[in-house]
Amino acid sequence: MRTDERLHAYIDGELDAAAALELEREMAQNPALRAAAERLRELSSAVRTQADYHRAPRRFNKIPKEKRRWLMLAPAFALALLIGAGIGLYIARPAEDAELVASHVRATLGNQLIDVASADQHTVKPWLSARLPYSPPVADLSGEGFPLVGARLDYVGGERVAVLVYKRREHVIDVYVAPGEASGGSGARDGFNVERFARGAMRYALVSDLNRSELRDFAKLLNSGPGS
Amino acid sequence: MTDRARYEALVLPHLDAAYNLARWLTRNDHDAEDVLQEAMLRAYRHFDSLRGEARPWLLAIVRNACWTWLRANRPAEIAAGDDELESDAPGPEALAAREFDRRALNAAIAALPLPFREALVLRELEDLPYKDIARIAGVPIGTVMSRISRARGLLAQALRPAAVPRLRVHK
Repeated sequence: MRTDERLHAYIDGELDAAAALELEREMAQNPALRAAAERLRELSSAVRTQADYHRAPRRFNKIPKEKRRWLMLAPAFALALLIGAGIGLYIARPAEDAELVASHVRATLGNQLIDVASADQHTVKPWLSARLPYSPPVADLSGEGFPLVGARLDYVGGERVAVLVYKRREHVIDVYVAPGEASGGSGARDGFNVERFARGAMRYALVSDLNRSELRDFAKLLNSGPGS
Repeated sequence: MTDRARYEALVLPHLDAAYNLARWLTRNDHDAEDVLQEAMLRAYRHFDSLRGEARPWLLAIVRNACWTWLRANRPAEIAAGDDELESDAPGPEALAAREFDRRALNAAIAALPLPFREALVLRELEDLPYKDIARIAGVPIGTVMSRISRARGLLAQALRPAAVPRLRVHK
């Protein structure tokens, strides 16, 4: 090791004990070497006390934000939200009219139109609440000519959904209810009419072979009546 | 403790050390802030790679971010600092300066070639042992030793009264 490097290492406390002892013995016999070590110490101390120490701007004193990482996590986060809300794809991707109509036709052709047969909203509502992670409002509109006949659970848009079943004369009206927001609107498919609207925290889709005008009136009744 | 809380407790206390190193290596606030931004992101992203002390770990990340930035933006400076084993380092007899003008001292440090400046800042301003400096700079301890010796030698030379007017600061 070169003598000057040994001197620097010495004042930095980086020489092992044996090498430090050896250097001190040399310095005892060589005043110029000792003086050089002293000047080195002065220089080192001057740098330590007088050189600028740059402090970080305050805005860095926090967890850094990482856009890319956040974007990577966003889909998983959204999925977790949906699962957490227990309503899955029905909200993320509202069932298409075709799917609603298919569900309605399946139910009316088979024997699975009604899981709980009751005209009493106080029977239907608890039955649904016990089987779903939400409690759909059930309105009694028999006075308006739309008697409740019961309810069922159906699988639409990838999720279990409450279906309230009403009648108008001999026409069956399926009322699909699930939490979430939706834009209103009318549709028709294969001779069935579809009416959509949102009320409170719930979104509704009505499917029936009833004529459009009466189905729309029924939708208005559901949308304006007591929201039990 | 969550990762966030551990990061806040272990890494953020060394933020000034990180900025000080970036500031001395880039030599201006704007570039230092850019580099620090990138380095802190990297530190957070690779937080699970932290073993042992947080300060040398963080400074190694900052140092690498600085060199990456300098390589892209000031390649000449990287090339110029590549002469570390030259033997024209002034001997101890050249270290005659006693009274230092603060501004001249800062200018002289800023004028040191990159590897010497880096070693000196880590040694004197962060008070790090040679082995930590070696780890941060990615070089053997012997190289750290010669860089520190060279850095102090050049500094003393620049600070000799006759030399001060000739001092040139790269900006």
